[in-house]
Amino acid sequence: MSASGRTSRAAGPLARRRFLAGVAAGAAALTAGGCARGTSTSAQPGTTSISNDNATWDDGYRTAGRQLKKITGYSLRPLSNPSVTSYQQVVQMTLQTSKSSDLVKWASGYQLKRLARAGGLTDLGGVWKSYADKGWVRGASRDAFSYRGTVYGIPLYESYYVLFYSKPVFKKLGLTAPASWEELLHCAEVLKRNGITPFLASQVGGWPAIEWFQELVSKTDPHFYQRLVAGQASYTDEPARRAMDLWQDFMRKGWMTPPDFDQARGPGALKEGTLGMFLHGTWQAAGMAAAGMKPGTDYGAFLLPTVRPTTAKSVIAESGVFVVPSRASSHRAAVANVAAWLDPSVQRVWSDFLQDSSANPEVRSSNPVVAALQRDIARDHRLPLVRYWEASPPSLIQGNTDDLGGFMAGQTSPATTLRRMQERAHDEWAAWKRDEA
Amino acid sequence: MSTSLTSLTDRRPPSAAGGPTAPRRATPAGRSRHTVRERLVAGGFLAPSVVLVALFLLAPFVWTVYRSFFGDSRTSPFSWFDNYALFASDPALARSVQNTLLWVVGTVALPFVLGLAIACMTDAGRFSRLVRLCVVLPYALSGSAVAVVWNFMLTTDGAVNQVLTTLGLDSLAQGWLLTWPGNTLVMILANAWQATGVAVILFLVGLQSIPPETLEAGALDGASGWQQFRHIVLPQLRPVSIIVIGMSLVNGLKSFDLIWVLTQGGPGRATETLAVSMYNETFLELRPGAGAAIAVVLTVIVLAASWLYLRRQLDVKGV
Repeated sequence: MSASGRTSRAAGPLARRRFLAGVAAGAAALTAGGCARGTSTSAQPGTTSISNDNATWDDGYRTAGRQLKKITGYSLRPLSNPSVTSYQQVVQMTLQTSKSSDLVKWASGYQLKRLARAGGLTDLGGVWKSYADKGWVRGASRDAFSYRGTVYGIPLYESYYVLFYSKPVFKKLGLTAPASWEELLHCAEVLKRNGITPFLASQVGGWPAIEWFQELVSKTDPHFYQRLVAGQASYTDEPARRAMDLWQDFMRKGWMTPPDFDQARGPGALKEGTLGMFLHGTWQAAGMAAAGMKPGTDYGAFLLPTVRPTTAKSVIAESGVFVVPSRASSHRAAVANVAAWLDPSVQRVWSDFLQDSSANPEVRSSNPVVAALQRDIARDHRLPLVRYWEASPPSLIQGNTDDLGGFMAGQTSPATTLRRMQERAHDEWAAWKRDEA
Repeated sequence: MSTSLTSLTDRRPPSAAGGPTAPRRATPAGRSRHTVRERLVAGGFLAPSVVLVALFLLAPFVWTVYRSFFGDSRTSPFSWFDNYALFASDPALARSVQNTLLWVVGTVALPFVLGLAIACMTDAGRFSRLVRLCVVLPYALSGSAVAVVWNFMLTTDGAVNQVLTTLGLDSLAQGWLLTWPGNTLVMILANAWQATGVAVILFLVGLQSIPPETLEAGALDGASGWQQFRHIVLPQLRPVSIIVIGMSLVNGLKSFDLIWVLTQGGPGRATETLAVSMYNETFLELRPGAGAAIAVVLTVIVLAASWLYLRRQLDVKGV
């Protein structure tokens, strides 16, 4: 024992030193590796990197990138971070460094304005003008892509908020897509009578709480919605109160799913026939396809009718944008790619991948349901409205979204919810204007 | 005995202690050089840990305290204690403090009581190993995985309500995660389901270290089972209890993952704890100053609670 003990003690320090030296060397190597520049955002010949918060779109970027390469010589190399919150942090931090990617997917409206005012974005006014001359962008939407008159974003996609519905269920119950508010109420009553929840409404993940709010307010009075999100009207005004009362009435009648119903289950519930209608962006068409539903056969879609027949028709539109960091490692290639992004040949494959409408109004969706919606929107000259999430300063939207979630869970009455939203709007608009000044 | 103790505790080389065969005594200058060298070596060994703690723990904390005194507008002006005043003016933060207190009480009381009861009941017995395994197993799961499982059970159309409906108890079915304080309470229960495992392990270790003679002596003196537990077992479990309560206290104050995955602090910020509020204010509401103030308050509470509790408990017997 003693002998072996001595032996082990004698060998101990040497073995320990060797072990410690090994650990130190390993730590040094890891530190050096960590400090070294990663290859993910560095310049790679023939490609431009694109930061993206939706990993399911990676294949679409690659496909569109192959088409872009034919025009510009540069393909797209997606770098995905599926957590939206951490994605936003990473983008905002790296934008000021040389490690930013060449292209960044971002939201339009005030989300873009907040990013742009921190500096570090490329002026894309020339690209926009070129697109506008060709008729590849809607001139009316320029403000949603600008900050202080300068364009910083190019539309990545354009989706509309619509009600998807189950065609087999509607057919079985003798219903058709409602064209008026009364017909919508009739559909909901019939569905409920037959044990089917008429509408999906959710606050899981936070942001979905805005969907019914923006729809009901804009279908009550679209011009009021515009003034409201611009800080020129009050949340306690009559149209907002009427919209919230309608919403509460729907919930009380059991026409809506519980607020903890996950939207990811929406397509499955439509397919099973347990859900009648699903309010969501037209980008959900890809989710319908993933659930094995065929457009026009298994599902259709319509725009929520206006509450009164005389109310102006409108549509809530959501636009993602591409921005180009001014310190992008392949800056010239990145600008070339955004300048060709809305080319119809690129938009054709991109729109086909998304199963959605294109940001280029000349490109028709290959999904017949979405294409029909595009035709309706153009025919009715619907007023395009910026989605609530991008329509006001981000801090205001985030807080109001929380309040709407509380309302959906029955924590607050419509009046209390609107009063809180207005109080926040007062403070946040003042803060935004102070910052701008 | 004393010699062996000295040899165990004295780290100086025996030759330096003197004696007839000891070498010549070192000169004062030589001793001083020796001491300096020893200190340098000790400092060298300490340096990596000190640098890492200073760099990754203390520096960010100091920066967080500094940031908490600045506003969240674009220019971030110095704003004194405005961010701290939010605790008085923002109802969401007031609710967050309430929830944190509920979590602390829940995460201390439930794992302690359940852990002690399960450990005592499964310390000996036929199926004790199996039962113990079942209780301890959730502890091996990550907080997020536990939250996903409980989400499947607690949503309005989830497993719990389906079982209640099947049993004809429709009136009891409800949105478990939707209304306060029920949503916070069910999340505390879910947390206890997971956290009880480690308490059981610690109490079992404590139970196995109790000398059986003490129990036999108690039995010979005619002590009943409860009396043995109350007066013999429980006092000897005190060191373990201190650890279990201390750990639960800190876990309760910093609870985040389960809440974030289950409700993200919602609906309407009703289930936020201070840790969730800190994240929410900083990264979602985009108010880093307010987030920093919450972080400072939370840190002070955790440190104060731990210090007060451990100082009181550890000083008694020098455990």
